[in-house]
Amino acid sequence: MKKSKINLYLLEFSINALLRAKAKNISILLIFTLLVALLSSIFFISNSIRYELNSVVDTLPEIIIQKVKGGREYDIEIDRVDDIIAINGVKSVIARVWGYYYFANAGVNFSIIGINQYEEQYKSSLERLTNRVDFDTLEANSSMLVGIGVRDIMKRNYYNRYFNFIKPNGKLKKMTIAGVFRDDILLESNDIILMSQRDAREILGISPSMATDIVVKVANPKEVSTIAEKIKFIYPDTRVVTKDDLKISYRNIFDYKSGLFLALFTISLFTFFMIVYDKSSGLNSQEKQEIGVLRAVGWSIDDILKEKFYEAFIISFISYLLGVILALFYVYILNAPLLRYIFEGYSKLKTPFELPFILDIETLAIIFFLSVPIYIGATIIPAWRASSLDVDEVIR
Amino acid sequence: MILLPEVISILILNSLFFIFATIAFFISIKIAIYWDFNKSTKEQYRLEKESFLVSTIIKYIFILKIPLFLFFIFTLDKISDLITGAMCASGVITATSYGVYLLTIKLLNIYIFGLWLSISYLDIRREDLPYTKIKFELFIVAYIFFIIELILMWLMFSSIDIDKIVSCCGTLFSSSSNSTIGDIIRIKQSTLLTIFYITSLLLFIFYRYRVKYLFAITNILFITISIISLISFFGTYIYELPTHHCPFCFLQKDYYYIGYLIYTLLFIGSFSGLNSGVMEALGEDASKSYRYSLIFNSLYIVLVTLYPTIYYIKNGVWL
Repeated sequence: MKKSKINLYLLEFSINALLRAKAKNISILLIFTLLVALLSSIFFISNSIRYELNSVVDTLPEIIIQKVKGGREYDIEIDRVDDIIAINGVKSVIARVWGYYYFANAGVNFSIIGINQYEEQYKSSLERLTNRVDFDTLEANSSMLVGIGVRDIMKRNYYNRYFNFIKPNGKLKKMTIAGVFRDDILLESNDIILMSQRDAREILGISPSMATDIVVKVANPKEVSTIAEKIKFIYPDTRVVTKDDLKISYRNIFDYKSGLFLALFTISLFTFFMIVYDKSSGLNSQEKQEIGVLRAVGWSIDDILKEKFYEAFIISFISYLLGVILALFYVYILNAPLLRYIFEGYSKLKTPFELPFILDIETLAIIFFLSVPIYIGATIIPAWRASSLDVDEVIR
Repeated sequence: MILLPEVISILILNSLFFIFATIAFFISIKIAIYWDFNKSTKEQYRLEKESFLVSTIIKYIFILKIPLFLFFIFTLDKISDLITGAMCASGVITATSYGVYLLTIKLLNIYIFGLWLSISYLDIRREDLPYTKIKFELFIVAYIFFIIELILMWLMFSSIDIDKIVSCCGTLFSSSSNSTIGDIIRIKQSTLLTIFYITSLLLFIFYRYRVKYLFAITNILFITISIISLISFFGTYIYELPTHHCPFCFLQKDYYYIGYLIYTLLFIGSFSGLNSGVMEALGEDASKSYRYSLIFNSLYIVLVTLYPTIYYIKNGVWL
């Protein structure tokens, strides 16, 4: 008797046994591969989008302050900036003017961002932009820069050179499209319209003494939470959101979504378990005879179980590898048609972006734990049943 | 309750284990009551067949339990990002009142399942299956422990509250903390180190002279003192920080996941050590267990000794 190392002869025997029942095994392999691919795709998509969002959040300032009245957000007074900048550790404070503009014809929301040429910008990409483009000139010509998605939507509605915004008082404001604005991070720049702050105020209906929110940059990341507390203390009517809060809530949303999917996926996993159980229970007379012969020539129950384990491992591991490769192809080369909508939300403008390539061992481990052991588990009892058949009965 | 993909995967696999272990449990009871090798009844013949099913199931659970345990620790580390205040797995473990017990019983179960397998391995290699009754009685006990583990795990995952602030390892494992851990850290390091190296020396002596049971008992002593000295002394050199005593942080990326290696060495060493005692008790050949235990324990000793030594060579001072 050999010791409990990997027995190469047994391995070869298992492969041959698998090949003998080709039709049955290939169908199982196919179903299993597809299941694994589906599962892996969900994880890959959620990881990539989370990564993308995290890199957006990384470019943001450390603290965002919103004014909240009765649980709803309101515009915040600009002069609060002076009090906040006096707090020790604060690097800079910027009052932002921005908002959403609903374009009813296409049923989409544009994000309008008002930019003041001679102020510090809250994001480095905007900083680079103000170095290139003069927003005062844009204001003088009442024109704007738009994201690629915005341009396409406008074009489709025959606004090739300009766009008519409807102001809160019902009057029209005509803005010329001066150019298209690109950013490295497509997810956020696609639905954006940039214009001078005064134009933005006019369209969004924000009075000159107010701003949408105030953002605070903090040089030392360890001081963020203390500074956030101090701001909350000075202005109890505000909601103070730190970068870490944002990251955690993004993470929760995505973990929740993939968790929910997984909970639903359990059902298909269970179904699959039953299919495999059923398929490996139904032995045809040839397979029965084979086991009978093996037992007759001296194999023990344990040897046959081991051989069955090799079979199950080979099939499930191949499916695992194929499934992961298939998912990589589907997500990163085909850009995950259909499935990505689970994570993206409904805004029509948010669609076209590439998913960044993220692959970590942790995800591969989850997929492994949910595929290979389940398959092997499903074959344990059928394999044992087959191996403990009575020899004389089978051979006869 | 956290609906994290990792947590759900762990729960799914454990429910599968639960179903299988329960099947094995009922068969074990039958075998423990009716097993009689000298009978040649149909009943006995069936029990013999069923015993194979049970050992396959236990093998299956055990082989998956080890990577799943590592994955569990890894998941706790990940959850620590989500919970305010926690910086590594220790914060998550102490976030609920079940964590510490869960971790202990998880480890205990790995030892029990491992010992079961090594007895079973001996058993099926002998024609008269001498240990079958013992091993199935042992499994009945193991099953009860396993169920406790599952219940604790369920309780822990369902009672973790993301919004609650927990303690970070820096406060849990500090000499000012008012717990057993605080007392451990306050033990003088020189005393602790002396005990650690004397125990190591004892391991070598008992290995050389093959004193029955003493080697296994020294191993129990060794693993206890190893973990204490790891928290109190060696850990601080891994972090190169005299105040940081956490036994979980070095499982993280910042320390090149060295913790996984440390604990694996310690586990294999002490497991083989215990196994040698069991083998002796059964009157079997224990030389392999002796050898493995000594090799892996020595590797552990060398590894943890290297940290302070290298630190001293680099900086010329002790922490």
